[in-house]
Amino acid sequence: MQPYVIDANNGSSVEDFQIRENLITTLKNRFTTYGYKQVRTSTFEYYDLYSTISGTVNKDEMIKVIDSGGKVLVLRPDVTIPITRMIALNKQHLSDNLRLFYMLDVFRQSVEQADEKESTQAGIEYFGENKPEVDSEVIMLAIHTLKDLDFSNFKIEMGHAGFFKELISQTTLSQAEIDQLQILIQSKNIVEMEPFLTSLSINEDVKKAIQMIPLLYGDPAHVIQQAKDIILNDEMEVLLQNLIEVYEVIKDYGVEDSIVFNFGLINNMNYYSGIIFQGFVANVGKPVLMGGRYDNLGEQYGTGMPAIGFAFEVDLLLHALNQQGLSDDQNPSVDMIIYYEKLKQREALSTAFRLREAGYQVLTSLSDTNNTASPTYIVSYEENQNQFLLNGKKTEFSSYADLYELLRDEKGEVT
Amino acid sequence: MSYITLALAKGRTAKSTITLLENTGIQFKDFHEDSRKLVFYDSDKTIKVVFVKAVDVPTYVEKGAADIGIVGKDNILESQADVYEMLDLKLGKCKFVVAGKIGSTLEKKQKLTIASKYPTIAKKFFQKINQPIETVKLNGSVELAPLIGLADYIVDIVETGNTINENGLTILEEIEDISTRLIVNKASFATKSDNIRQFINRLKSVLE
Repeated sequence: MQPYVIDANNGSSVEDFQIRENLITTLKNRFTTYGYKQVRTSTFEYYDLYSTISGTVNKDEMIKVIDSGGKVLVLRPDVTIPITRMIALNKQHLSDNLRLFYMLDVFRQSVEQADEKESTQAGIEYFGENKPEVDSEVIMLAIHTLKDLDFSNFKIEMGHAGFFKELISQTTLSQAEIDQLQILIQSKNIVEMEPFLTSLSINEDVKKAIQMIPLLYGDPAHVIQQAKDIILNDEMEVLLQNLIEVYEVIKDYGVEDSIVFNFGLINNMNYYSGIIFQGFVANVGKPVLMGGRYDNLGEQYGTGMPAIGFAFEVDLLLHALNQQGLSDDQNPSVDMIIYYEKLKQREALSTAFRLREAGYQVLTSLSDTNNTASPTYIVSYEENQNQFLLNGKKTEFSSYADLYELLRDEKGEVT
Repeated sequence: MSYITLALAKGRTAKSTITLLENTGIQFKDFHEDSRKLVFYDSDKTIKVVFVKAVDVPTYVEKGAADIGIVGKDNILESQADVYEMLDLKLGKCKFVVAGKIGSTLEKKQKLTIASKYPTIAKKFFQKINQPIETVKLNGSVELAPLIGLADYIVDIVETGNTINENGLTILEEIEDISTRLIVNKASFATKSDNIRQFINRLKSVLE
């Protein structure tokens, strides 16, 4: 028989799922404490939703299906675009600030990662004003969540989408040249950038500024000083000022240690218009979270509105947690097993019911069946006596009230 | 105190890189050329060196098993790893070329068959000049392919061109210069920024 095993690491075992659920619960709880409400979007979207907006998801990477009417659909390759559309089309929502979060699977295929077609994103979107206070609160939420997960060493890299765009607008480069330049900046490849820039016809000042971009990295105070040297016009001055203002608010949250500036940060999602950022944890080469401000995306649906958001890659987070040994599932399999003899069945099952009502995880088992689960407590109903067993210590009890008392005492000692 | 992990390509690159590092004052006392050990520490235990196969260096760095890697540009290009490429050590200089039988020219046909150890690089180059190709991945003696009729041309690395000439081939087109580069894991650069930049600056200072 063919086993037909799909080569994806989607945690299909019970233990993996538990770890994944715990992680998702942690994320949800944190998002909720910042006032975010959960939403979902449809798994199927029209291909045209994505293909008409330039610079979003690579068309080849989308997984397409055809519906009975012959329309081309895609499996949700991104969440930000459908949420933005939803909000833009329901303008009445816009009276107030909207904080939304989602835990959804996204689907993409690429030749390089043929095995990884689905991944889970946990993200937030904030629709409202474009203010430094908003940007910094969103970044703070990302930092707060990473702290919840106990990562000892993580960093948020912050940059501005406008910086590179503004520099490019000073030139007359072809799209192919811009793409090449972008690749060189993203890989901080100064070695090859120099000869490449020399081969292009651009103004000397712009050339110098572009060459500086990959080097503008690290401690914000230091980078801000260096960045002042490459300011070519008022627009760039405004962008830098914006970045500084956001950073000032982050300082008041007291988390500036987690921030580095990276002017070489260019997101392949073209819709970003303001602050952009990504989060790294030690020893994981890819960013575990990405996000930024995208004020113009709503215009595609007739309502321009300031917005900022980010998304965690849940699978990468899991990988990182595993790698750093932070994912140990400390819960034993169940709280209690009740062994009973047939004679005492009624009493045993009634106890099980009442304990389950009280929130305990309880298994019941006839005395002569073997059980491999390793519970915290064992209770046995025998013909002549009832026993409560904990860490090798046996205590007799007569009624449910007695047993409940024993459990309460036990809990009391622990806490 | 956390150390940085440095992945080196076994063989010539490793030897010359270790010499270079010793010039910067980082000592590897237990490193001998003939040693079969794959992991070394420097005397201060601030740098851990692992020796891996050259083609694997970009993978080690991209996946975060090593913070920094030192390896030929050929392997970086072929792996298409998403890493920072921050320094040219100017060692092991050579170039990627298209070669064919002596007397031939690079003809554009319906479809060309190209033999190479580096199929990705071959594909990329011919895509750029709008020539459809089929690649044959070989792991050695690539020069044989055109002579035997396995392929029309080859894409390979040459230093002087001697091997190619001795086997009855000639260079038809140069694709790209290559040399040994220093690559950095993107997360490590964010989380161990100071250590890594210090290391790079030390290397830079002896290169100039």
